[in-house]
Amino acid sequence: MLNDNYEMVVGLEVHAELSTDTKIYCGCKNQFGLEVNTQCCPICTGMPGTLPTLNEKVVEYAVKMGHALNCTINRICKQDRKNYFYPDLPKAYQISQFDIPLCEHGYVDILVDGEEKRIGVTRIHIEEDAGKLIHDDSFAGSLVDFNRCGVPLIEIVSEPDFRSSAEAKAYLDTIRSILIYLGISDGKMQEGSIRCDVNVSVRKKGDTEFGTRCEMKNVNSFSGAVRAIEYEAARQVEVLENGGTVSQETRRWDDAKGQNFLLRSKEDAHDYRYFPEPDLPTIVLEQEYVDRLKEQIPELPNKKIARYMKDYGLNQGDATLLVEQMEKAALFEETLACGKVSAKNVSNWILVDLSKYMNETKKSIADTKLTPQKLCQLIQKVEQGVISNTAGKTVFEVLLVEDREVDEVIEEKGLKQISDSSALEAVVNEVLSNNQKSIDDYKNGKTNALGYLVGQCMKATKGQGNPAMMKEMILAYLENH
Amino acid sequence: MTAMKMDIAHVAKLAKLQFDEQEAQKFEGQMQSIIDMVENLPPLSDSGALIDPENPMIMREDKVTDHCKRDELLKNAPQVQAGCVVVPKVVE
Amino acid sequence: MELYQKTAAELSKMLRNKECSAVEVTKSVFDRIRQKEDTVGAYVTLTEDKALEKAGEVDQKLAAGEELSPLAGIPVGVKDNICTQGILTSCASKMLYNFVPPYNATAYDKLLKQDMVITGKCNMDEFAMGSSTETSYFKKTANPHDPSRVPGGSSGGSAAAVSAGEAIVALGSDTGGSIRQPAGFCGIVGLKPTYGSVSRYGLVAFASSLDQIGPMGKSVADTAMLYTAICGRDPMDATSAAREYPDFYQNLNSNVKGLTIGIPKEYFGEGIEPEVKQMVMDAVKLLEQNGATVKEISLPSTGYALNAYYIIASAEASSNLARYDGVKYGYRTSEYTSLEDMYLKTRSEGFGDEVKRRIMLGTFVLSSGYYDAYYKRAKLLQKQIAAEFAAAFEGCDVIATPTTPYSAFKLGENIDDPLKMYAGDICTVTVNIAGLPAMSLPCGMDSKGMPVGMQLIGPKFSEQTLFDAAFGYESLVGGFTTSAVEK
Repeated sequence: MLNDNYEMVVGLEVHAELSTDTKIYCGCKNQFGLEVNTQCCPICTGMPGTLPTLNEKVVEYAVKMGHALNCTINRICKQDRKNYFYPDLPKAYQISQFDIPLCEHGYVDILVDGEEKRIGVTRIHIEEDAGKLIHDDSFAGSLVDFNRCGVPLIEIVSEPDFRSSAEAKAYLDTIRSILIYLGISDGKMQEGSIRCDVNVSVRKKGDTEFGTRCEMKNVNSFSGAVRAIEYEAARQVEVLENGGTVSQETRRWDDAKGQNFLLRSKEDAHDYRYFPEPDLPTIVLEQEYVDRLKEQIPELPNKKIARYMKDYGLNQGDATLLVEQMEKAALFEETLACGKVSAKNVSNWILVDLSKYMNETKKSIADTKLTPQKLCQLIQKVEQGVISNTAGKTVFEVLLVEDREVDEVIEEKGLKQISDSSALEAVVNEVLSNNQKSIDDYKNGKTNALGYLVGQCMKATKGQGNPAMMKEMILAYLENH
Repeated sequence: MTAMKMDIAHVAKLAKLQFDEQEAQKFEGQMQSIIDMVENLPPLSDSGALIDPENPMIMREDKVTDHCKRDELLKNAPQVQAGCVVVPKVVE
Repeated sequence: MELYQKTAAELSKMLRNKECSAVEVTKSVFDRIRQKEDTVGAYVTLTEDKALEKAGEVDQKLAAGEELSPLAGIPVGVKDNICTQGILTSCASKMLYNFVPPYNATAYDKLLKQDMVITGKCNMDEFAMGSSTETSYFKKTANPHDPSRVPGGSSGGSAAAVSAGEAIVALGSDTGGSIRQPAGFCGIVGLKPTYGSVSRYGLVAFASSLDQIGPMGKSVADTAMLYTAICGRDPMDATSAAREYPDFYQNLNSNVKGLTIGIPKEYFGEGIEPEVKQMVMDAVKLLEQNGATVKEISLPSTGYALNAYYIIASAEASSNLARYDGVKYGYRTSEYTSLEDMYLKTRSEGFGDEVKRRIMLGTFVLSSGYYDAYYKRAKLLQKQIAAEFAAAFEGCDVIATPTTPYSAFKLGENIDDPLKMYAGDICTVTVNIAGLPAMSLPCGMDSKGMPVGMQLIGPKFSEQTLFDAAFGYESLVGGFTTSAVEK
């Protein structure tokens, strides 16, 4: 935890790989995990005389993200060269955007502990990814794999609006879920589809001026971002508390060590010599095109979560889990639309039973035979006491794999609950007369004997007895004898 | 505009070039005379960004084209191992 | 008259009339190469076997009555900065001394589709930086009119080859005058096309916003034929213009009646040799006598153009040439202790002095704190220069100027004085800055016995107007006789 007298000021730069079919500037396949140097061509390996041509899908996706983050879209913009030497950058410059990004001046609302907070989005620009260096200790050199060269990226730069690592984490989760909702990035952290740089400064609480900030590179996971931010803020406070000053520098986060290290000081900062990319003319987008893309933006996950909490009384955790996968959210909403049923119950069925099945079988909802109508009917049967919760699960398992009617399955499996009190009374009397020890236990304060007795009744009715009614009968007996 | 001085060592570092002392001296003189020449530009009112919306870009369709065979692609590389270009060990 | 002395237009007719075969034409050119190459040195690489094979194919196709392009079977030289699959493409640099591209430049591909016969790769200034072909890593090229003089540059090999009859036509590239100046020095015709009309895909980049591939030939007709073959929108080059182009050769019209020629006084001032001025004005007068109108115009920013040119071209070059780092292709230093050491040695050993000067200048003008003062101002000046041209063309169809201030200079004369060398580009760079088409055509021999070039500049995409005006002049003088095919 940060020293109480200080607060941290954090800004994030998120790089997200876009899931286009081809790379940003050539027709090579944009696919992760293929054999080294098999998804590249003279263009993305920077061979002499080759030229970039901009993939229109990249612009489309970036504009969609711009709309989702409430940005102004710069219909007229350009691309620039960022010059630096590194073996994974074959042209020795990265094509990016400098002074006129495609999108800017936006914001996104995040949820932290159930409270909404608005985070400013400075800009979103398009650029190309670099290749990968492979280091192998058994070998004197480094190997270069160019497959990732030219994979399209958007860089989303936030305002320095975060005051805690939890806010930063919530923002990262929100950005990721929006990318996935828009269908523009697969959001796979383990494949490096989303990476981020973190800018951290600290200041005394109440100060209005920002402190000197440090940039941290090599933050490869969201949980890593939390650790990196906490570490860096604490480091800066320590420097200040010891009478020192924080110097502006770039540091490298080492997640395994849980520490960061100086990469370069301000004096050694790169001079990237940005200038307009002469191989690519000005990007000019029609207003109509930009508007059309705006219409395609669905309800976004952060807004959906807030709505589920407000309209259905779900807690933030459940709402988030439902919204995380678009098809779960869709099933949830469609099931509710099919008839009167408790939202909390629908949420439980989806998050517990359905999710368990999906995890075990690696199947999507579309792969099952379950429909919103049937799920709604099933939950209604349980809510009305027609079948028990346990019986419901049996029916549910059938509905997942067979295209059957709910009533039909209940009938066939004989799952209808017995709620005829004279029939149940006979069963209860039978069980009580055979379990004197449990009755004694109960009277000696072992209240869990009650559960055992109900269980015996359920067993005797082959699970069909209405447990609530039988429990009531047992209690009445115990109190009167 | 006052005459600009070029820091040869700094620029050479950016450009990844190196000059021995003799070369550096020759270059210094040559570069300075070139800079003296090119910096004679008329005063211009800053008319903003370097864009040309009159000639908009035609973008490429997101369609996969044939990629290059790896052997072809690496044929020109000075050093290759395990399907990769080899460079001196990089420590970041 | 030998076959190598003829124009492409003449040979094209002869091939169709079965007066000669493509193999005979090719053999004639290679015999001439064997005769002249030792003194001229126009080529970095010769591809005789491939040429003869291709010529044989053309003969078979002609015999079978196939409909072929008028350029089929015509031997063409290709500047060594134009990528040719399977053939060394060195840019006359140690840096690419062994680079064999696995792809073709679009313009070269188009020549192959026209069934042209490739003689080889022509010498040039290293990475097209220079005006004399003396900065080539491999060899010096001599002016075929006088071996003690330069052929011009950077497309000096292409110009010398065409002038000497070592190729019938050739492709060059022009960033600041690199087609027109050597064409002028060697007594041939060269066109720097409108920026965006010929694909740059596969042209090894010097200054991306200024580079353009263009045709060189002994006659206007040949140049028009070759330009018709290479122009057109290319989806591989985002800067290539989306438009249709006519057959410039078929459309040639020698009538200059009604043509208005602008004479910018800034191009006839100090620094231009009086003899050169006189010869260009004589050529203009001839056009005037035959129905053209001549008027004086002004292009006031001309005096700054050279400065803007060297800033923009060098800035782009510093970035374009950063990829030569010893990692992926070309030269890598033999001994190094680290990545940084490999970069430094590879680049310092692989590039020649002129290339280093441009990289240094370009890096400097883009570096932090200098961008606005240099690069940005140069780019804004570029807009102003383009606007001045556009305004000038409201009152005239073409602008006539000398191609160069003087005819071909001696080998070694300017090589150690970069500023003097740069000053020679004064008449040509403005055209690249403004993205305009311009051609150089011969307007006679000066008192030194060397050819002098006249430059005709037109508005964007006015190539037909330029060809027609040049064709009109060529017809009036009874055809150009300033090449060195008879020497």
